[in-house]
Amino acid sequence: MSPVSSVGSPLTSLYAQIAGANKAPPVLPDSLKVGAPTTAPSGEGFAKVFDQLIGTVESKQTQANAITQNVLVGGQGQLHQSVIAMQEASVAFSLMVEVRNKLVDSYQELMRMPV
Amino acid sequence: MIEPLFASNNYQVACKLLDAATLRHEAIAANVANAETPGYKRMDLAPGFATELRASIARGDLAQTAANLQPSLEEDTHARSVRPDGNSVEIEHELLEMNRNSAEHEYLTQVVTYNLKQLKMAITGNNSAP
Amino acid sequence: MNLISGIEITASALNAQKTRLDVIAQNIANAQTTRTPSGGPYKRQLISFETSLLQQTGDGQPALHGVQISSVTSDPSPGERIYNPQHPDADSQGIVTMPNVNLAYEMVDLITATRAYEANLSVAKNGREMADRTLRIGQ
Repeated sequence: MSPVSSVGSPLTSLYAQIAGANKAPPVLPDSLKVGAPTTAPSGEGFAKVFDQLIGTVESKQTQANAITQNVLVGGQGQLHQSVIAMQEASVAFSLMVEVRNKLVDSYQELMRMPV
Repeated sequence: MIEPLFASNNYQVACKLLDAATLRHEAIAANVANAETPGYKRMDLAPGFATELRASIARGDLAQTAANLQPSLEEDTHARSVRPDGNSVEIEHELLEMNRNSAEHEYLTQVVTYNLKQLKMAITGNNSAP
Repeated sequence: MNLISGIEITASALNAQKTRLDVIAQNIANAQTTRTPSGGPYKRQLISFETSLLQQTGDGQPALHGVQISSVTSDPSPGERIYNPQHPDADSQGIVTMPNVNLAYEMVDLITATRAYEANLSVAKNGREMADRTLRIGQ
């Protein structure tokens, strides 16, 4: 368990967000309890989260491109800054791809459910 | 949403120290090159960077101040001039510092790689090949 | 692309040390030369180093200096005067002025220059290794 602890807290909270939006949470939220006022469906909140994710991925890519271009044309950019920025952009991008895969999978699972 | 992934303290510190290690190598290269130039004073990292970094970690606001924390070089005022022409470079000392710096650089790349690989493994769920 | 840190500085040092070795080799080769095109015996050549401004960082950082040879001058000190009337360059009193090259000193200088060259080579090698390791970050 310890190797994951250094990145545990931000990542587990991230996954909690994704998990909470995809499946019904184990505890019934107030919106579904009998007699409680209806609130906006959780799908709305997740779309915003995903938009934010795309925006951050794009900014990370732009940042990596800027530093890499600086190194390529012989400017002040350092090699390790470019390598690290490219790796971070790749990590962010693969996170987005995995979220998209999970979304598609859960959509397909929903479609497979007999009505 | 992505930023917290890369906000791990060790990762940020390692990235900053990599900047410092690269800069230090350049200073050592200049010192070794000028080991016999009359009047040359050896250059090294300014000590302010390390103290500021430590203070930032102690305060816990590394993520915010990271962008402003840059290593810089300055003339080493503690180096004694061991030669009559005023040159303060001792070549054995420089080579030892270079080896030490190189080992630090290797360690820092390991820390950064470790953090990035953890993230990749957590995201994709499998031990991806390079 | 500046991929290996400090490589220009190290290159300037390697260049300077190599020129120094050339000058020492010339001195040793001409240790017995009593006649030169300008007349008189060969005069030992001396080199002096100076810093050369290579990287002017624009953001207020102190610039790092490489090294270059500032001048190659003749050593004005007189050479040994030997009594040898048979020598083709002997003057009217039979005394030949030999070049002011001291072989022992030149050999020590040669060793120093070689060590300096090797030290700079090891700095360049180290810089290259650091760049290689940087490229493998994340893998």
